Amino acid sequence: MIRSTLFYIKEAFLSTKKNSVISLATVICLTATLIIVGIFLVISLNIDLFIANIESQLIAIAYFKDNFTEEEIKKLVEEISNLKGVKEVHYISKEEALQKLKEDLAEHEDILAGLPENPLPSSLEIKVYETGYLEEIASLLSQYKGIEEVNYGGELTKSLMSIFNFVRKIGLWIILVLLAIAILIMFSVIKISVHSRQQEIEIMALVGATSWFIRWPFIIEGFLKGFLSSLIAFFFLSKTYQYFIGQVKEIIPFLPIMAGNEFLIRIGIILLFLGISIGVFGSMLSLRKISFEEL
Amino acid sequence: MIRMFHVFKTFPNKIHALWDINLHVKKGEFVFLVGPTGAGKTTLLKLVYRGILPSKGQVIVDGVNLSRLKLSLVPYLRREIGIVFQDFKLLYDRNVFENVAFSLRVVGTKNIIIKQKVNEVLDIIGLYEKKNTYPHLLSGGEQQKLCIARAVVSRPLILLTDEPTGNLDPETSWEIMKLLFKINVWGTTVIVASHDKLMVDKAQKRVIRLVQGEVVSDARKGIYAKQ
Repeated sequence: MIRSTLFYIKEAFLSTKKNSVISLATVICLTATLIIVGIFLVISLNIDLFIANIESQLIAIAYFKDNFTEEEIKKLVEEISNLKGVKEVHYISKEEALQKLKEDLAEHEDILAGLPENPLPSSLEIKVYETGYLEEIASLLSQYKGIEEVNYGGELTKSLMSIFNFVRKIGLWIILVLLAIAILIMFSVIKISVHSRQQEIEIMALVGATSWFIRWPFIIEGFLKGFLSSLIAFFFLSKTYQYFIGQVKEIIPFLPIMAGNEFLIRIGIILLFLGISIGVFGSMLSLRKISFEEL
Repeated sequence: MIRMFHVFKTFPNKIHALWDINLHVKKGEFVFLVGPTGAGKTTLLKLVYRGILPSKGQVIVDGVNLSRLKLSLVPYLRREIGIVFQDFKLLYDRNVFENVAFSLRVVGTKNIIIKQKVNEVLDIIGLYEKKNTYPHLLSGGEQQKLCIARAVVSRPLILLTDEPTGNLDPETSWEIMKLLFKINVWGTTVIVASHDKLMVDKAQKRVIRLVQGEVVSDARKGIYAKQ
């Protein structure tokens, strides 16, 4: 078993070396494909995060005029809580609002330093079960005296969601097409490699090697190319992405964006899986029939 | 060892390569297969190692009916048959030792046994001194010997050789012939497809003559044919 495995690996390397130019071209093509796939993956995962973020923010915010008393607020909260579709009502005082803004701005907090007094109004955050309720609740709320303004992201949320879903769908198709192309590339390269080693394959078949014994070196060759390509693609993507995140955080600090090693490792595992699968699957495809006939 | 019953082979282009062949080659026999180019010698050899299947009729090798042999079992049949080709089929990027060892490696033989067996066969064949040489640096006769070494290193039951003396001078040809006789003495059944009249006549072995795909004569201690 170990002996055969060593033989397969040795033959795989020999074949890669023999067709070094084609091997290099394959790895470059596959790497480029995987990078593009990776970019779409990153975009798609970030869209997921965006959507999750938006969904957790299915809220209407009612801003109070400054002259609202505690009692009135309490009464209003109770009333709103009983409305259909309302999940949770949360009162945010002027002070809390300022505190939250400070947290959101993080290191850019100093922007607020020059303010003479707290300009933020107190407000009610009303979480709803579904986007559909927002409009209704918002129009109800705006009829109350003492409420200055009601904000809700109804239309915006809807259109954002549909845009994101569209981008995701397109992305998925592009990924599928790219993967098919990558498999075709692998298929052709292994075909060339099989062709260039026709003599060896023929001799193997004639001296009694089983068809799987003949196939293994090529499958390993596909595996190695897939593995190498995904490693390069991952290295390139993670470096670029880290740089990109750095830039984005600088410009739009509160934008929700996937960061951290966990996310990159996830991308890495997906790329590795794809690269190896393409390599192995492409090889298998080109080796469907190693024939004992007509030798 | 090898039996053929009413074997016909017709290729897709409607050429009848073999026509109603019946023959029996016993274990340990040495047989010449003679006839002009295109008589069907190579086709007949291919039938024996199941490179092709007959269009009609039965081929039985070592008790196995090849028409009924599962494709997955073909490799095991081939391990019992050594084949020497007209066009050598050597691996030119591997040295003499590795060319011979290759046929043992692909059947999963242990390295230590490979070394022992390859050295032994190279010694018998007379190529031991050149075991590190690459095939393109060998003469035609030496390349032919290398093919024989590769074919017999696993001590097969049957050795099939297709024009082993094809492009060699008479002296080297006879050397190759002597080598084949030696292998035959080990107990290996040897079939030699040849149109080397000189060698066939000198060898005084069984001669089966094919003409246009048909057996026209089968003689013990035969000669090539009267011209």
